Amino acid sequence: MNTKYILTLAFAGSAMLSGCKKDYLDTQPSQFTTPDQLGAAAQQDPKLLNGSITGLYTTMFTPGVGGTTGHDDFGHRGVDIYSDMLCSDMVLAALNYGWYAPVARYQATVDFTRNEAYVPWRYLYRQIFGANSIIDILGGNDLVPATAALKVTMGQAKTMRAYGYFYLSQLYAKEYGSGSEKILPIYITADPTKINQPKSTTKEVWDLMVADLTQSITYLEGYTRTTKDQVDKNVAKGLLAYVLAARGTQADWTQVATLTQDIMTAYPMTTAAQLVYNGTNGTTAGFNNIATASWIWGVDLTLAQGINLISWWGQVDQFTYSYAWAGDPKTIDRGLYDAIHADDIRKNQFASPTATSYKLQPINKFFDPARVAGGQRQVITDLVYMRSDEFYLLNAEAKARLGQDASARTALSTFLTPRITDISYLTSLSGQALLNEIYLQTRIELWGEGKSYFAMKRNKATITRGINHLFDAGSSFTYNDPKLTFVIPQAEVLNNPNLNK
Amino acid sequence: MLLLAISLSISHLWAQQRTITGKVTDDKGEPVVNASVVVKGTSVGTITKSDGTYSLSVSENAKILVFSSVNMEPQEVNIGSEGSINTTLKFKNSSLEEVVVVGYSVSTKEAFTGSAKAVKGDALNSKNVSNVSKALAGEVAGVSVINTSGQPGSSATVRIRGLGSVNGNRAPLYVVDGIPYSGNISSINTEDIASVTVLKDAAATSIYGSRGANGVIVITSRSGKGNKSFIEVDGKYGINMASIPRYSILTSPEEYIGLSWEALYNEGVKVGNSNPTNYANTRLFSANGISPNNNIWNAATGAELIDPVTRTVKPGVTRKYDPERWEDYAFESSNRIEANLKMGGGDAKTNYYSSFGYLKDVGYSINTDFERLSARLSLNHEVKPWLASSFSFNYANTETNNNGQGSSSNSVFWFVDNIPSIYPLFLRDASGNKVADPIFGGYQYDYGSTGRKFGSLTNAIADANYNTSLSKRNELTGNASLTAKFTKDLSWENRFGVQYYNAAGYTRNNKFYGSAAGQNGSISQSKNELTNLNFLSMLRYAHRFTSHNIEVLAAHEATKFKEIISSASGYNLVDNYSLELANAIVKNPTSNSYTNTNRLESYFAQFNYDYTGTYYLSGTVRRDGSSRFLGDNQWGTFGSVGLGWVITKMGFMKNIEFIDYLKLKASYGTIGDQVGGGSYYPALTSISIGNLNNLPSFGIPVPNFPDLTWEKSKMFQVGADFRLGTFLTGTVEYYLKNTDNLIFQRRVGPSNGYALLTVNDGQLRNQGIEFDLTGHILKGKSYYLDLGINGEHFKNKITTMPIDPSTSKQKAIDVQAPYGWAVGHSIFDFYIRNFAGVDPADGTSTWTVYYDDANGNKVYNAGEEVLDLEAFYSSNPDKKGALFTSTTKDYTKATQYYIGKSAIPDVRGAFNLSGGFKGLELNVQLLYSFGGYSYDYLYAGLMANGLIGGNNWSTDIRKRWQKPGDITDVPRLSNNADVNVASTSSRFITKANYLALNNIRLGYNLPSSLLQKVPGIQQASLWVSGDNLWLHSERQGFNPATDEAGETNTYRYSPLSTVTVGLKLKF
Repeated sequence: MNTKYILTLAFAGSAMLSGCKKDYLDTQPSQFTTPDQLGAAAQQDPKLLNGSITGLYTTMFTPGVGGTTGHDDFGHRGVDIYSDMLCSDMVLAALNYGWYAPVARYQATVDFTRNEAYVPWRYLYRQIFGANSIIDILGGNDLVPATAALKVTMGQAKTMRAYGYFYLSQLYAKEYGSGSEKILPIYITADPTKINQPKSTTKEVWDLMVADLTQSITYLEGYTRTTKDQVDKNVAKGLLAYVLAARGTQADWTQVATLTQDIMTAYPMTTAAQLVYNGTNGTTAGFNNIATASWIWGVDLTLAQGINLISWWGQVDQFTYSYAWAGDPKTIDRGLYDAIHADDIRKNQFASPTATSYKLQPINKFFDPARVAGGQRQVITDLVYMRSDEFYLLNAEAKARLGQDASARTALSTFLTPRITDISYLTSLSGQALLNEIYLQTRIELWGEGKSYFAMKRNKATITRGINHLFDAGSSFTYNDPKLTFVIPQAEVLNNPNLNK
Repeated sequence: MLLLAISLSISHLWAQQRTITGKVTDDKGEPVVNASVVVKGTSVGTITKSDGTYSLSVSENAKILVFSSVNMEPQEVNIGSEGSINTTLKFKNSSLEEVVVVGYSVSTKEAFTGSAKAVKGDALNSKNVSNVSKALAGEVAGVSVINTSGQPGSSATVRIRGLGSVNGNRAPLYVVDGIPYSGNISSINTEDIASVTVLKDAAATSIYGSRGANGVIVITSRSGKGNKSFIEVDGKYGINMASIPRYSILTSPEEYIGLSWEALYNEGVKVGNSNPTNYANTRLFSANGISPNNNIWNAATGAELIDPVTRTVKPGVTRKYDPERWEDYAFESSNRIEANLKMGGGDAKTNYYSSFGYLKDVGYSINTDFERLSARLSLNHEVKPWLASSFSFNYANTETNNNGQGSSSNSVFWFVDNIPSIYPLFLRDASGNKVADPIFGGYQYDYGSTGRKFGSLTNAIADANYNTSLSKRNELTGNASLTAKFTKDLSWENRFGVQYYNAAGYTRNNKFYGSAAGQNGSISQSKNELTNLNFLSMLRYAHRFTSHNIEVLAAHEATKFKEIISSASGYNLVDNYSLELANAIVKNPTSNSYTNTNRLESYFAQFNYDYTGTYYLSGTVRRDGSSRFLGDNQWGTFGSVGLGWVITKMGFMKNIEFIDYLKLKASYGTIGDQVGGGSYYPALTSISIGNLNNLPSFGIPVPNFPDLTWEKSKMFQVGADFRLGTFLTGTVEYYLKNTDNLIFQRRVGPSNGYALLTVNDGQLRNQGIEFDLTGHILKGKSYYLDLGINGEHFKNKITTMPIDPSTSKQKAIDVQAPYGWAVGHSIFDFYIRNFAGVDPADGTSTWTVYYDDANGNKVYNAGEEVLDLEAFYSSNPDKKGALFTSTTKDYTKATQYYIGKSAIPDVRGAFNLSGGFKGLELNVQLLYSFGGYSYDYLYAGLMANGLIGGNNWSTDIRKRWQKPGDITDVPRLSNNADVNVASTSSRFITKANYLALNNIRLGYNLPSSLLQKVPGIQQASLWVSGDNLWLHSERQGFNPATDEAGETNTYRYSPLSTVTVGLKLKF
């Protein structure tokens, strides 16, 4: 009998008590981290704090950040493909798997149920939320950070917030207009009690962007970044130039001229040798390398990021194992191609319309250096977000808009000299013709870089689709046609009851 | 002592002996052999002889004789003065007496106050499926078994009593031998299962507290208890095939190309081309049509190929070659082999059961199979009269090949159903000859690199042949317990359970063809290691007073779940076949590992009471703490009460002859679900960890709701178990289950930076009635015929939507295409644009539009449309009933609204027919579902109007609009010039009624006369069995039983059909 009680007491002791420690139910994740875990780790290693701001940059190229599993959902450059197609310079030249078809046919822009209308909205507001989270941690919008390092973080966060609002303002609003149109909800904090904001006016949105960027430029003064994926003073200046140009008052253009001049001083143009693959310069030419001196903002993709099929390179590059190669090629609009002078080296960036393969594809502008069709399986070719040439052209445009045609012509000539053999035709251009030429050169130079759409809008242009478009070939659309700007997606309309208040 | 012995002997001497004789028969008049005849209260007795007669010498003062026999109701007879007593014994209603394993104790169907349906292992094993989840189909009313894949070894999705949550978990809890189970259901050999009990109501499930809300499936393994030593051997051989027909699709390349031409012609008309015939002729084989490389005819242009009047291929045009039918190379009949060896036995103190099983189940789709080697040992031993130990151990080694099943161009099923019949499987040279493959032999597959407009640059069949998609698993489930008995009534059980598995998944893409050819082949591995430990300590007191019976238990349980997940990959292979990373010259720097943990701590108690076997009462309370939640939200309390009343034991029922048995029962309780948060840490804000320039990069926080906790269900049930005469037994139950604090993904405007927050809000109601009836149509000495029908009718309704904090009001509508969630609607009510037919004038689609007639002209004008009816009514309540309807040809202007159809059926269940004649047994099981609607996505894809060459069509495309005046509901083909033809709309909502022959089995038990000639063999049976042989549904190929809402999916591996022969011998 004694043994029996001793044994059972032993069970009782071991089994009953085993689960009863107070912290038994407190478990920590390891697949991801949490604010608490990260805070604790940063106490030991303060360098970790930089990781939050770089998270915004990683978000720029991560698949799925637009809230879908679509293979067209991969952040910044994914949005660029949408806008390049909306302004028609990028043609979806064949349909196989069918990504982008609703954009290319202008179905997605007018249909609030489409994922394509949702993805940029979700992605860009995610960036804004990320930036706001950091701004909140730093002490809020109005706090002047105490140290230079904190100022840099604040400047980067506010630039990224302005970046988000600028792209939203372009994709979801037709134009600046009178400034009183209600276009977008504004959030300047991640505070969960301030959710579901109503739409603000264009003026309010622009005022916020200008204020954020102006302050960021000050905060980022003297900051030297270690890699080009980070925002620095020149990135902020570039964005501010676009923001102001999109509003387009004379005062704005004056400031644009100054801002672009600053950038031109800081960065050289892309060289003729870098512009186009000529059969031998595969490792040095092409827009695939972050080290290119003219690149202001971009990212060095490495194997560590595991970028694959779902990427800008996958969708556009024939030499990457993905959709462009597998039957959904992206090509230049035939009309735009035809408008490139025969003696313009940039004409060679594209396969000729009579080539046996890759017709009108940008195979000599964007390519994996190995140049094997469908070859690049894991994407390590780099992404360009912003380069100096944009501002050489915008500088010319600003001057033309300010009525300084001669200076504008000079700026344009300087830019085109390495590109076009005979630029004598420029001398005869002035006024609207000069602006048209700058607009055309902007479209040519920046094909596939997500910038032509902004140029179309600020030039209030009408585009005519070339004959190689699968849809609406030959039709014309004005910049403010409802088809050229996305409607606010259904998910917002359904789930933000304050939207129109 | 001496005195006592003397007095006993005296009493013996005083008693006078007399002899009683008689005969015991059953209710058919047949003699009962070996029935026991005992004087009540003594050990004096005898057994009946082969003719049922007995002779017993009893003392004068003996008052009562008790007659009893196996499977028969005992009978007590007063001993009168007569010397002969004959009696009739009735067969027991075995289902009432049978022991049912419920939660942490055992009961009988009669004594249990909740809803528990036990299914015997034999019923499960008559089906040839590799795991118990699929075998449950049709066995239990209110249990819906959704067979989502034909992949051998895959598990079914099981739903018990409606749809328990909106965004949360709807899956039941599995419990194996008393321990909640986190392992793989497919690692349990169904031959080792003694029984499965499905617990449905709160009285039955509340003992599982936070995990019981969606029902519990209790699996009990076989043991050697009560057996003489035995050896059981069985072998099964079967054929797996795809015998349920697939969708009816176009198979003639000529028909396909004719329709393609017609589509171009209509496009020409639509774009205003002056010569549509020429438009089609010149485009048919061009960049704007089908690639000239895919022209299989000896005709260079559309003009040469197509007769513009008949729009078909001109007579006399020949082919360069005949493209293969892809299905012929994708699917083939295959084998299923299973063998089991079981041994067991025991005596009063010790019993054991051991088994070895082998299963190789090869699917009909190429390179898909499941192989399992399993072993089991269970040992129970009474160490001391006061101490019992039990130990069981299950090991399974499984290997699954599941090629060709991605939701991508890697899918064999997508290719088979959708590729236009003009495209060959094998590559052709310029003259149409197949091209030899120098690497693998045979012919090279066509990867579509020359302009194939379907799945270009891939070939799923080649991939399934040349690549590897394999998972291997070693899985161990162990269970040890010690039970100490303090007294006859009081015991203390301590149990330790472990589930462990180590699983490795391998993906290999070959060096030479397909996606990794550019990398010279690639491999990736993922490894999962699970350790789930469970500790239980339980005190149990049970005592029978004269007419009161009490059982009380109290317990503490702790669960520790830990899964380690790691992955690594590489490319540039040395050997084309080796799956190890050493074989990859380049390793990717994306390798990763992490751990998921989950802990649960519980205290619970239960009380069961009955009075004279007539009134039953049970009560349960359980308090659970879960690591999924934070702080005060970790702990929740659940409980239930149940009542049972066996009315037929009441005196007043004695006169009602036809009711043999009637029990009423009722229960109420609360149960929870904690899994629904979606992750192991659903209350924590998560921040992803990334790499940018080899420095840390933390993702944008994904906010979570820190106050998250369980969703809680309150379930009420009433039911009756009854037996009418010898003809009908049955159970009818009604339940009402309100779930509140729903784990709901509350949507916010995505402009907030996040799209949803997982919160506790909203309420959902499920209510239903379930019936399980068995009619004993024929019953004789050598034959019987039973017909069973079970089924359920249920309603599912959202009664409260989550509050939108920015308005403090409930959300009007949460559109979850093709469904919409709103108060008063089920989670599967279609909220969709209504297809209003085809305009006979031009063959284009029309959709219904609700419009607010602003200008009062009674005509729909652009801008007057209402896009989202519920949201509109919510903000314009005065407009209810004031809107008009019309039709529009612009899909984006059509109204989304509740069209009055739901994916929830009116009734579903099964018919079970079982009959026997002498040694022959026949069982037939039919599954049925009536009254619901489902979205047929696969069919929508086959009825689309995409670019020609891009997809095959259903044969229903023959009904398309062709010329003005055609009345049809299939719009014209126009090479995608008409948009949204196949976009989500009511057009593809299909009646989901079905009737399926799930299992038919004919068995033969060899008669004992024959067996006696073979010494040693106690029992021998052989059978032939067919599974999933026939399906009737609204449309050929449409199988709504493969999805919770009946939706179809072009990537789905349709369940396979199996015909098996088997032999079982017992020594």
